[in-house]
Amino acid sequence: MFDKILIANRGEIAVRIMATCREMGIRTVAVYSDADRDALHVLEADQAVHLGPSEPSQSYLDMDRIVAAAKQTGAQAVHPGYGFLAENALFAERCAQEGLVFIGPSPHAIRDLGDKTVARRTMQGSGVPVIPGMMETEGDASKLAREADRIGFPVLIKASSGGGGKGMRVVRSPADLHDACAAASREAQAAFGNGAIYLEKYIEKPRHVEFQVLADAHGNVVHLLERECSIQRRHQKIIEETPSPALSPGTREAMGNAAIAAARASRYTNAGTVEFLLDEQGAFYFLEVNTRLQVEHPVTEMVTGIDLVRQQIEIASGMPLSITQADVAARGHAIECRIYAEDPLSGFLPSPGRISFAREPRGPGIRVDSGIYSGFTVPVEYDPILAKLIAHAGSRTACIERMVRALHDYVILGVLTPIPFLIDVVMSEAFGSGDTFTDFIDTRFAGWQPRTTDAELVGLAYVIDALAGRRPAGGAMHSDMEAGSPWKTLGNFRP
Amino acid sequence: MNYTLRIAGKDIPVTCEVTEGTRIRARVGQTDLEADFRVISAHQIHLEVDGKGMNVFLADDPAGKLVNVGGTTWLVQDADALAQAGPRRKGPKDLPQEVTPPMPSVVVRILAAQGERVEKGRPVVVVSAMKMETTLSAPFPGIVTRINCAEGDKVMPGQILVDIERDEGPQDQPEQA
Repeated sequence: MFDKILIANRGEIAVRIMATCREMGIRTVAVYSDADRDALHVLEADQAVHLGPSEPSQSYLDMDRIVAAAKQTGAQAVHPGYGFLAENALFAERCAQEGLVFIGPSPHAIRDLGDKTVARRTMQGSGVPVIPGMMETEGDASKLAREADRIGFPVLIKASSGGGGKGMRVVRSPADLHDACAAASREAQAAFGNGAIYLEKYIEKPRHVEFQVLADAHGNVVHLLERECSIQRRHQKIIEETPSPALSPGTREAMGNAAIAAARASRYTNAGTVEFLLDEQGAFYFLEVNTRLQVEHPVTEMVTGIDLVRQQIEIASGMPLSITQADVAARGHAIECRIYAEDPLSGFLPSPGRISFAREPRGPGIRVDSGIYSGFTVPVEYDPILAKLIAHAGSRTACIERMVRALHDYVILGVLTPIPFLIDVVMSEAFGSGDTFTDFIDTRFAGWQPRTTDAELVGLAYVIDALAGRRPAGGAMHSDMEAGSPWKTLGNFRP
Repeated sequence: MNYTLRIAGKDIPVTCEVTEGTRIRARVGQTDLEADFRVISAHQIHLEVDGKGMNVFLADDPAGKLVNVGGTTWLVQDADALAQAGPRRKGPKDLPQEVTPPMPSVVVRILAAQGERVEKGRPVVVVSAMKMETTLSAPFPGIVTRINCAEGDKVMPGQILVDIERDEGPQDQPEQA
């Protein structure tokens, strides 16, 4: 087993990985940029190495500096987290050349699965259902038009190296195809440096269901059931849950087997996620494999009781899987809400800034994976995720009630968050009945406005605060100390 | 005590009177409220209103006071103080007449050069906040007289990134002088 691991990431995921390392007796090395000198992951690590300027290309994406930091501190392995270098085959290769263990799949698997058309060919050859469409990229407009006719409209244009909705277009009539292909290709070229596109059948009103897999270097593969991730805004997930309210036991078993087949077909090792689209008729199609730990991995951990980061580290160190498929069972229901620094009232625009006060919910079945604290300044340079709130309970109904309660108890002052929006979504009848499709936010919550029922109480609290007049101007130090004291923050739980 | 508070865009008159040290009687807008309160910390007040206990969290903000009740955070401003301070400068929510970012951001690309003529709506600067890019456009036709930022600069709302001298002519007159 490793003595020391470098975590090549920041924020809540770096903090979460360090927690498991500490439990395993492994020392941790954080890396950080100028903007993150006081970030929580730096404060939580045994050692921290400064990488450089805030600009990601000169810090968290700079392979030379990260490798040098690992060498300098004597770390034997590197955990990439998600984002940044997590799905970069060159980085995985570089680690291997430098004698560092990359905690993730092989460079070969990352490369094959990172190219959507290669992945589709690999899966089709192994009996994993793929969305009908092209198996190669195409740049010629007349050939694309012929393919679109063969597939049948509506078609979806996709970029072979795409992600996050970039380079993606739905085309409903042949007349629009040419311009849409050109625009998608340009967008993909700008975002990924690769403008190659292909076409597949557009699935109307799909659900997004993914399966967690674990594979060791000895040929053992298990799946850890599904996550339902249909609630999205701008093609980014905001609420995830497991089990999916949409899966029958038969479909679940078939998808689990397909996920294992997908992992075997790509000779996958370590933790990965096989994403599927589920159509309204209950048919499912392979979408892609995410070759990293997912943002939403905690819901799987809650219902299976399996620590995915521990599994990743054990697999990377060469150990065989200690669990078999028969050991995997879901207990209860788990939901995750992502807490971003963003304004739900203005199209989820980012809202960086200083957090003057933060107070996390707690209690039975509540988990908070967080990268912030009172007094922390959220940098403008990185992804706006602040924290993830996860609720676990015996049933979906009880889990929704627990999540609603916890969201009400989650206080973040100083940056805007979607917490009031999430409360309304989770409490909605549509969410309660499991009516979750990828167009959920656009169709049901467009033009959302916060409720103003508490305005009088807000006014009352303001005047009490003004009368008490005890918060000194610029009293940041004072308030931070107060915020950290359990004698103060436990107020809610006094009998 | 009398206040006029601006809550969610509405000015609400508040009168209040503290009785017995920890009991407050207030009229907020049209609503009469009575509450027992305890100040728990610099950021927390415990309220008991009609037999229902609750925790309220507060923090100071450059624009006013942030108040969190039941999962929602509100910006509350003293409307009297705002009136004294004079008419507010144009904010990012108003019709843009300036090239300024809607949120704290980093300048990614500058698309215009000093001395260049630009049409209304012509992209001039791309800024990025938390991985999301926003393109700022010329609010009116004119000549770029000065670029006030460089790629990689951190910029704030209200900061004018590009000065544009408006074309003279009857079209596109601003609503204010």
